[in-house]
Amino acid sequence: MTGPGAAGTQPPPFAMTGGTVRRDGREVLSGVDLRVGSGDVLAVLGPNGAGKSTLVKALLGLIPLASGRTEIYGAPPARFRDWHRIGYVPQRLPIGGGVPATVREVVSSGRIARRSRWRPAPRPGAAGRTAVDAALAATGLTGLAREPVHQLSGGQQQRVLIARALAGEPDAFVLDEPTAGVDADSQAALAGTLGELARGGRTVVLVAHELGPMEPLITRTIELRHGRVVRDTAEAST
Amino acid sequence: MIEMLQYDFMRIALVIAVLIGLTAPAVGTFLVQRRLSLLGDGIGHIALTGIGLGLLTGSSPVLGALAVSVLGAVAIEVVRARSRSGGDVALALLFYGGLAGGVLMTSAQDGGTSLQSYLFGSISSVTPADLYVVAALAAVVLGVIAVFGRELFLLCQDEDVARASGLPVRFLSVLIAATAAVTVVIAMRAIGLLLVSALMIIPVAAAQQLTRGFLGTMLSAMGIGVLSAVAGLTGAFEYDLRPGPTIVLLALAVFAVAVVGGSVMRRRRARAGARGEVLPAAAPARDTGAEVLSG
Repeated sequence: MTGPGAAGTQPPPFAMTGGTVRRDGREVLSGVDLRVGSGDVLAVLGPNGAGKSTLVKALLGLIPLASGRTEIYGAPPARFRDWHRIGYVPQRLPIGGGVPATVREVVSSGRIARRSRWRPAPRPGAAGRTAVDAALAATGLTGLAREPVHQLSGGQQQRVLIARALAGEPDAFVLDEPTAGVDADSQAALAGTLGELARGGRTVVLVAHELGPMEPLITRTIELRHGRVVRDTAEAST
Repeated sequence: MIEMLQYDFMRIALVIAVLIGLTAPAVGTFLVQRRLSLLGDGIGHIALTGIGLGLLTGSSPVLGALAVSVLGAVAIEVVRARSRSGGDVALALLFYGGLAGGVLMTSAQDGGTSLQSYLFGSISSVTPADLYVVAALAAVVLGVIAVFGRELFLLCQDEDVARASGLPVRFLSVLIAATAAVTVVIAMRAIGLLLVSALMIIPVAAAQQLTRGFLGTMLSAMGIGVLSAVAGLTGAFEYDLRPGPTIVLLALAVFAVAVVGGSVMRRRRARAGARGEVLPAAAPARDTGAEVLSG
């Protein structure tokens, strides 16, 4: 679809070389090399404070690199334009100032990268509505679409965040600890959704403490410790 | 009510009140969600310097206020984005500088008579020219929200997700601050700079007691805003009160009623849920994970 595709080799969803992030003078990510191939289901493991969230945020350009470089589908984050190909699921839903929002409102906002800013659409188009309905159904939220998100349980809120990413129909998903503080039912539901994505050939980068029911879906695991990759199953097998 | 419509200035004032009631809470909904409830207040302080400049240079105080408050709003966003810890103090410096500069310049001009009317509002002095300015600015504010509402919603929900959706986060942050500044200028003649922010925040605080969604909150807040502004203005005319404080106290009264109404509503819903009645709000307790697995 994009330019480089014509040359026969699509650039990978994420490629980081020597990625280093400093916070308050301390290195929280130290020279990470990571190339995530299309269709990979990558789990990023490691103890608290190992730099897992920092890594995925740096991959997306949400945290600037002190040194090294990172590319999303071949472009540095600042010059990347095809954001509709990316679905980012943050750790939790910020409460902000407490203005309520319905599940459907939050999920619909996941379509934003697919919408032209200069064509004000008071309602999402038919395709958008179908995608939002599908995302709600895939996460089991159809019956809760009109509920205020902040009155849902932690697991349900997590599913809302995933549904928001699904609604944008991206090629690559980045999920930051989607299972943290989530009940077993929601974890199983999440594994089901991820399975669908993996079978559909989507790329998934998943930060997790422990994999639980998602384990069989994972095609590759890296483990971080003190901001360094200490284990990479891809290196072991290839 | 009928009697007051015989006065030209009251007819103009009523239209202005409706426009303030619509725009201030609409912008306020985004400010509240972004935890910038006091932004309007700060911009109000800065706008006073603009009024002083306008009076001092013999040009329009409204245009002066507009230029300085929009510039101030942009400066606030830049400071907020740049500094993590020192931003708070920098903002305070900006606010107090704006207030002190404004007071000094306006009182140098006419001994402070217009200072009072700008600080606390004075509706009896509005002219048709004011109305045109306010109407044009209100159109700008509502236009910005109509065009950028969805982007601003996501920005206020989660800045990281907004950035990862390719939204121009810095531009949108400046846009919402500048729109707030324009709203301050819209409302300053009628409500006064010190109370402007009240009508951006209180109707939203009232509405969110009763609503479930963002759009619903915004529309209800606009309704409450128009109601308080029009009723406050009418009451002020009938009982010879200052309109600004009357409008704000009315909005606070609506807020108090909404808090009581909201808690009754939630308790009733919770009780219905406990009895096992099928109410949408009772459903969240049960997960529907099994559906997903089989689907």
